[in-house]
Amino acid sequence: MALETTIEHVDGTTPVTVLALDGELDASNFEELIDTVRQLYDDGTRRLIIDLAALRFMASSGLVALHSIVRIMHGEPPPDPEAGWSALHPDLSTTQSEVQLAAPQPGVARVLARTGLDRLFTVHPDRAAALAAV
Amino acid sequence: MIGTRRRLRVPADLDRLAEVRSMVRDVAEACDAQPVCLDDLVQAVDEAATNVIVHGYRGTPGHLDVTAEQVGEDVVITIADEAPPFDPTGVPEPDLSIPPEHRTPGGMGVHLIRLAMDEVRYAPRPGGGNILTMARRLDPRPKEER
Repeated sequence: MALETTIEHVDGTTPVTVLALDGELDASNFEELIDTVRQLYDDGTRRLIIDLAALRFMASSGLVALHSIVRIMHGEPPPDPEAGWSALHPDLSTTQSEVQLAAPQPGVARVLARTGLDRLFTVHPDRAAALAAV
Repeated sequence: MIGTRRRLRVPADLDRLAEVRSMVRDVAEACDAQPVCLDDLVQAVDEAATNVIVHGYRGTPGHLDVTAEQVGEDVVITIADEAPPFDPTGVPEPDLSIPPEHRTPGGMGVHLIRLAMDEVRYAPRPGGGNILTMARRLDPRPKEER
């Protein structure tokens, strides 16, 4: 099963882009997801909600993608997984606000918790709650 | 009880990971694995197969032989390959006390395998290659809660 992405721009006091993922995020497609967000950032997106409701699987490479997406949305180059500590910038706040997550299925939520990456995100129960919180 | 056993041979290609996951998902369902158990089995085989393709074969052609079967109260997954020796059980644990924004994002695959599975064993394959054997009890609870 491939990964499909749907992009929706929501206008408001704070414009936000909702990126919905449908399918499975793994080592074969995580780089495409990073490229998608890089393009969104280049096109002006500054607030991003990633809707995970239809994402039924996330591999550890998906965590690399989420980590990279946070850095892109923070206006920084994404980390090189092979570069080690020197690639990491110290100025991100622990829970950043540029990227928020919505509606992870239990398996995806467990992967985020087991790796501590959930601390980097506000996780909303659904897309409406995420939009209301912007 | 009729044994549930499936075997799949796929090229070392990241685009084939979905098939590997699907096969293990089918076996887990046939074994009446509950959702957390099923997710753990699928996660473990994906991470292990990805490691073989990325760190074992490193872009060179080869195959993975994946089996999944019920053995008693366990589901056992084996992945055999002909890649240069690579023992994922020797990979050190990531330091999760480091805040995620300061951490190198890679290296989480083996960590997730350890949390998903009850037993992970590595052995060199006779004649060259590697065999990784992973077992998880058909327990509905995550390992952290047992």
